[in-house]
Amino acid sequence: MTTGNATTSAAEFDPALEADLARLIVGALSLEIAAEDIAPEAPLFGEGLGLDSIDALELSLAISKAYGVQLRSDDERNHRIFASLRGLAAHVARHRAR
Amino acid sequence: MLPASATTALTTLALTGRAPGEAICHRDGRVVTVGQFLAQVAGLAALLPDTGHAVNLCADRYAALVAFAAALLRGHPTLLGAQPGAAAPFLRMAAAHYAGAYVLADASALELMRPELAEVPLPLLRVDAAPADGTAPPPRPIPEGRIAAIAFTSGSTGTPTAHAKPWGALVAGAAAAAERFGLRAEDGPPTGIVATVPAQHMYGFETTLMLPLRAAVAIHAGASFFPSDVHQALAAIPPRRLLVTTPLHLRVLLAEGRRPPPLAGVISATAPLSREMAEAVERDWAAPMLEIYGATEAGSVASRRSATEESWLPYPGTRVLPGAAVVPGLGEVPLGDALEPLADGRFRLLGRLADMVKLGGKRASLAALNHALLGIPGVEDGAFVAPADVESNPAARLTAYVVAPGCTAAEILGLLRGRLDPAFLPRRLALVAALPRDPLGKLPLRALAALDRDQELGAGPAAP
Repeated sequence: MTTGNATTSAAEFDPALEADLARLIVGALSLEIAAEDIAPEAPLFGEGLGLDSIDALELSLAISKAYGVQLRSDDERNHRIFASLRGLAAHVARHRAR
Repeated sequence: MLPASATTALTTLALTGRAPGEAICHRDGRVVTVGQFLAQVAGLAALLPDTGHAVNLCADRYAALVAFAAALLRGHPTLLGAQPGAAAPFLRMAAAHYAGAYVLADASALELMRPELAEVPLPLLRVDAAPADGTAPPPRPIPEGRIAAIAFTSGSTGTPTAHAKPWGALVAGAAAAAERFGLRAEDGPPTGIVATVPAQHMYGFETTLMLPLRAAVAIHAGASFFPSDVHQALAAIPPRRLLVTTPLHLRVLLAEGRRPPPLAGVISATAPLSREMAEAVERDWAAPMLEIYGATEAGSVASRRSATEESWLPYPGTRVLPGAAVVPGLGEVPLGDALEPLADGRFRLLGRLADMVKLGGKRASLAALNHALLGIPGVEDGAFVAPADVESNPAARLTAYVVAPGCTAAEILGLLRGRLDPAFLPRRLALVAALPRDPLGKLPLRALAALDRDQELGAGPAAP
């Protein structure tokens, strides 16, 4: 498995989008932490932020509403997409409606 | 209890009564026939050990069906309940309590669960590695009393309780569901099922592994978790299409707003569906919205058309009592809900018994969760609390109030993670100086609610 950092190209790194997405995650999942406390490289699921499949579904709805990006199970980059906030932000950056 | 009579013990029932040319699965845009399926099952069955218990971890639904059927033909019960991302405790339980436990997995499950499988060294067989060529002899009929599957609920002590499912009971349940939902061969063209529930959950097992074996049903094999997966899966199968799902998924699918291809029906289970959501499905998708009431212990027990019916109609052959169901092949099974049988044979659901919570399609007793919490080093007292909207909000989560001087919320959460199903991990873990116990040691709900207002909540910085 690849790490989010090594495979996210400089062009896809967007700090504003990352902060935006952190606020979306905290809001959509009613997390008890501040958006800026989500470490960009920490795992979102399991260890780290501790999200599970119910959260993944909620998150897919919030991301689809906010950015018009549909998450899919068979995306072969899924491991990277869900690996961290940074991976998710890179995916949204690649696919969001312009 | 209804004792099994000597004659039923000798009765056998076929793995499937379906013709070899019928579709049993839609996979990667192609149809898998019953004949191809049986050849694959025979190939895998030949590779299995002589005795044992099968932990079915397959993520692909067709692989899960092949694995279940092969284990069944060899006389091995399938242990239901391990799910990707949270399989480690289940695998440890299987290794400790079930002789000859082994894992049946496919490529995608292995990718998802490599760390968990490394931690629990059980023998592992690849379902997708079994040869599928050659002509297989027709499978021998299976004794009605053979334990085909074992499902688990979390008991009041925190140790999972096993519920054995004899083959005869599963076949009777599938026949009753097929009759209720019009899925028998004589009811019309075959039905394709897309399901958002895993085959390892009792509801998903009954609808997506038992129905294709015993009814005119073909399952969609691939991913069907995210809304886009579901739309793509439905578009990939021919009518009649049936969507088997949960309130959690329906809420997201409806909120997203895309209209699926024409559906013959939508079935929901695992948690009560609101009247509003049922009406939205009937109106926006022009499909009958059907709801199943069931439990891991009893399997599916009853159904209703939720937009227009409040009371439940028991499955053919099933009878309900105030706190139990009498189910063919199982006898009288206690339920976690209070029921009120009505004069017309239907029943009303009066609500769950107070200690039970149901989240993400799984049920646990608060007593069991508290027991797990108190087992953590450093925790002096603690209690899980379900939010007031736990019955109506599919995305509801638990709160835990914990007395643990010297521990951080993150430490406690980290230790809970290995001991509880993730669905029951507290979304808020509040560290408090003491719990407001009354003189009897009980925790009045009102006093706990007051804690919420008065105490600075632990874990993170100020709540929004």
